[in-house]
Amino acid sequence: MNPSLFRQLQAEYQKGRRRHLLLLPLGFLSFQILWAAWQLQNASESELRTGYLLLFHHLPMMNAILLPMMSAVIASRLCDMEIKGDTLKLLYTMQRQGRFYDCKYLTGLQYLAAFTLGQGALILLAGKLWHFTEPLRGIMLLEYLAVTFSVSAALLAIQQMLSLFSSNQILPLTAGLIGCFLGLFSMFFPKPIARLFLWGYYAAFPVASMDWERSTRIASYYEVPFPWTGFLVFLAAVVLIYLLCRTITIRKEV
Amino acid sequence: MMLLRCIKSEHQKLRHSLIFPACILIPVIPAIMGTFNYLQNTGILTQQWYSLWTQHTLFYASFFYAPLIALYCSYLWRLEHLNNNWNVFMTAPVTIPCLYLGKLTVILRVTLLTQFWVGILYLACGKLIGLPGFCPPKIFFWLLRGTLAAAAIGALQLLLSMVIRSFSVPIGIALIGSVLGMLISNKGWGFFWPYSLMLMGMNSNKTEDALRGSSLPFLLSTGLFFLLFYLVALYLLKTRDVRA
Repeated sequence: MNPSLFRQLQAEYQKGRRRHLLLLPLGFLSFQILWAAWQLQNASESELRTGYLLLFHHLPMMNAILLPMMSAVIASRLCDMEIKGDTLKLLYTMQRQGRFYDCKYLTGLQYLAAFTLGQGALILLAGKLWHFTEPLRGIMLLEYLAVTFSVSAALLAIQQMLSLFSSNQILPLTAGLIGCFLGLFSMFFPKPIARLFLWGYYAAFPVASMDWERSTRIASYYEVPFPWTGFLVFLAAVVLIYLLCRTITIRKEV
Repeated sequence: MMLLRCIKSEHQKLRHSLIFPACILIPVIPAIMGTFNYLQNTGILTQQWYSLWTQHTLFYASFFYAPLIALYCSYLWRLEHLNNNWNVFMTAPVTIPCLYLGKLTVILRVTLLTQFWVGILYLACGKLIGLPGFCPPKIFFWLLRGTLAAAAIGALQLLLSMVIRSFSVPIGIALIGSVLGMLISNKGWGFFWPYSLMLMGMNSNKTEDALRGSSLPFLLSTGLFFLLFYLVALYLLKTRDVRA
């Protein structure tokens, strides 16, 4: 008889004890706090008036640099313990392969959720500390966090598959590194080309945009309507990516 | 003689590994994308070879070199972290400095190869898009200077991967360290942060030499960091008990 999902998740939690996995999202978040402080310290009075919009516009770029690597590191930390211990043969006699993949993924998602919530708190805190005068619309914050979480979730599925396939973890970490490159560069590409790279999707569903006046060197930020239709299609694609990665991993010979 | 044998055995450990394909493949991406970005913005980027250099090195030196070298270092130490190999490593009939220098030499060689490959890609991309003549010799000097900084970062990552048993965590640290390095160098404190040295040495995203008149502090900082990380690693190897 297969153990219940709750029991299997509990086993994953036990495997992660004293591995200090929460330090990963906290480390990346601490860096983003530093970066946001630096960005806001250098912002002009007029920019601070639209501080939330400034953060919503600039944070996706920071996410594209850091989050592909963070997803790769989380997936590698969670899966490498099975590779190092050669435990898959044993586990698959007690757990369905698909359920094992689901539990690992849900465990990884917890860390992504912790990071995303932390980023939400960072935005709220920045508003208080730098006295943004613009009111924050809750729906805008939720839209931004939903994009950050869903793109990271898609990347986590891919990274988890690569980590379970790789005996030495070079492949998933190389993929993570290449993803950071592609994500960042794709933001400077024309939109149709940028849409080819999943790692750059952090900026594909913007809630804010910027006008930069070259002569006066003044940037002004404004709200843009959230592309709900495109985002819902993307969410369907995330589910498909997850199912595809899961199927490929299940079919792998142990 | 002992050192040569250590270097040889480290090379043997790397045979048929994915390290060398990664070393070839990863720098190709900033080269292609940097060139594409240059071609998209020729209206603003008017200094031909120098402008192309800014686009090639902007992200490579600022963000991605350190994680790349961290990948090599993590792989090199993973071999010892697995299968009780620490016991074999520490009981080998060679001195600890030779053991460690064997690994450091491999990392320096891979660094040199990567930098050389970055230079070749830059020249090839420049010629492919029809830039006139040959690239300014100054750029080779920047590449060489970047290689010195890269050696200091290599020594740091080798130390981190030796201490941290996880494969991926030192790579994450390298990425955060590099992005932080960009902020620190913007503040003018780059000489005190090893990850900043790479973008300063490579003169990343600048057409005028940002280190003019500061070559000595740069060399001093690079040399001191390299020596510091090397000595800390030796100290830890000599005094700490291994966890096989």
